[in-house]
Amino acid sequence: MTGPVRLGTAGVAGAAGPRLAAILLGAACVAWTAIPLRTTGLAGTALVVSIAAVTAGALRLALADVPQPEDEFFLAAPMRAWLTFLGLLRALPWEEIAVVAIVWLEVQHPARPWYTAALGAGLVAYLLAVHIAESGAPARLLRRQGKVLFAGACLVALGGGFGTLSAAGPGAGSALLRVLAAVAVVAAAALVLPGRD
Amino acid sequence: MSSLIPNGPGRLPQAHAFAVGRAEQAEVEVRWRPSRQARRLLTLALAGLLLATLTRRPEFAGLAAPALLLLGGGHSKLPTRFLVRTRVASSQLYEGEIGAVDVTVDDTELDKRWMLQAGRGVEPASATGAGGAAARFEFTVPRWGRRQLGSVTLVLHDRWRLSEARAVLELPGVDCYPHPAMQRTRVVLSKLPNRLGEHAARVAGEGTEFTGVREYVPGDRQRAINWPATTRRGRLQVNTFAAERSQDIVLVVDATSDVGTPGSSALDLGLRGAAGAAQAYLDGRDRVGVICYQWGGARWLAPSLGRRQVYKIIDTMLSADAGWARGDAFNRLPRAALPPGSLVVVFSPLLDQRFVETLRDMRERGFALFVVDVLTAQPPARRTFTDAMTRRIWRMEQQAIRFSLRELGIPVVHWDGSEPLDLPLAPYTRRPLVTHR
Repeated sequence: MTGPVRLGTAGVAGAAGPRLAAILLGAACVAWTAIPLRTTGLAGTALVVSIAAVTAGALRLALADVPQPEDEFFLAAPMRAWLTFLGLLRALPWEEIAVVAIVWLEVQHPARPWYTAALGAGLVAYLLAVHIAESGAPARLLRRQGKVLFAGACLVALGGGFGTLSAAGPGAGSALLRVLAAVAVVAAAALVLPGRD
Repeated sequence: MSSLIPNGPGRLPQAHAFAVGRAEQAEVEVRWRPSRQARRLLTLALAGLLLATLTRRPEFAGLAAPALLLLGGGHSKLPTRFLVRTRVASSQLYEGEIGAVDVTVDDTELDKRWMLQAGRGVEPASATGAGGAAARFEFTVPRWGRRQLGSVTLVLHDRWRLSEARAVLELPGVDCYPHPAMQRTRVVLSKLPNRLGEHAARVAGEGTEFTGVREYVPGDRQRAINWPATTRRGRLQVNTFAAERSQDIVLVVDATSDVGTPGSSALDLGLRGAAGAAQAYLDGRDRVGVICYQWGGARWLAPSLGRRQVYKIIDTMLSADAGWARGDAFNRLPRAALPPGSLVVVFSPLLDQRFVETLRDMRERGFALFVVDVLTAQPPARRTFTDAMTRRIWRMEQQAIRFSLRELGIPVVHWDGSEPLDLPLAPYTRRPLVTHR
């Protein structure tokens, strides 16, 4: 059998925490976005896709230590199906699909700026947790990025605040102006912040 | 090195005592690419910005902000060349013995992760320091043979894990020796060659085993006088001792038929038994050689003494598994591999009729033969009449082969691999094996 080196008891326990956190954060993001429940049209599709993608990503993390058999000849049909399933889980970018579907699902709801801002924080946390779970990155990674994450949280709040402001005047132009202002603030922050510690 | 060829229970010769690890050093060049984390953050940022623009809802721009900030943290210059060292602790090990690979990289700044992709027939056991500049992977090889250890992948990340580079290092192969069977006793021939050794011969000599008392003749040593006997008989009596001789052992491993479950097949048991026998006889200062029989010919090693001979024997046996091509039939063993008067110990499932004929031929040439039957498999039991009949006929054939060998004066004992070899050999190790030409 080829595959990752088997983990000891401490290793298994150490790996289980980030995986569980990633799974819970993914589920929480989907649940947060889905409420109030809308199952028709594009919202329904986005909900199904996001649930499927988060579930598949969770399964990928949970089965990350399952090795791939080296001899794949003359295998029984259930074993072949299992290997195909494992290959599918590991081949597709489930987290990206989940993020796009969740954001699209959020778009389907009427404007709720603070709700969306909280979702942004949740999605970043979900992606960081997935990365830590799958790569075994040390916890100091978060400490390194602490300042930037804090700045990001401020910008999320700022975006939410922009959303709550009423348009300066009637028409589509003023709404677009608000968006451009928000994008400009985010871009400026990304350029100004040194990023590296 | 005094315990190089021990034979106690649960002890193995220290293969790595002479097979020092091989260290290799190489400079690898890597290409940096965006990591999966970077791709995910980019997806979130683009989705947020795009939807903010399309829907004209600024909160989605805020949603994209953390991802953009993480991505836009600037890019420092990352090194592309690294010095990597790999070292296999031992290039030779026994079945089930734990081996180790040490890997180091000269960089200390970047985040690193080592992953072992074990080769065919190699089982990873544990990893130490897989996230540091130096890592150690332990592995076992459950079955004998020459194995490629596989490869070690070094995954490098920048400090924010937005860029990723990979380097794959091929690991060298190792020789996995069959786990030697336990054997403490030895079969000794009744007629031994005139060479100094440790087995008590039937002729008188200067050994340590007492054989009797005889009358003193001029020239006898004074220290050999048996004073109690001299007092009783009134004439000088001296002790006599048996000469101590060594014998030539030729181990024959039948590699023509490998039947049974992998790990306990006939060839597995044959190799383990031969390795154990080689150790036992070399411990007794006998000269031991090996003939490995396979389709198309035989590989052999002339009998010799010494600690290293056991490894030469195992090496010869290991090289036999490469020659499975069906070639010329054989009916005679090479003369150079068979010294006159040697004891031939055969490990075979006795399934190949030509091999059985070869044994008969050797017996007719006057060699003392001893067969250890390592057949542990049989046709599957099925309910149909023809299958049951076939199975019964097969069993009768096997019994007939063994009976015919015994009729020729070739002892045949069965060994299942789980018990020490001493048990099936017990009837023949208590007294010298008498063979008639």
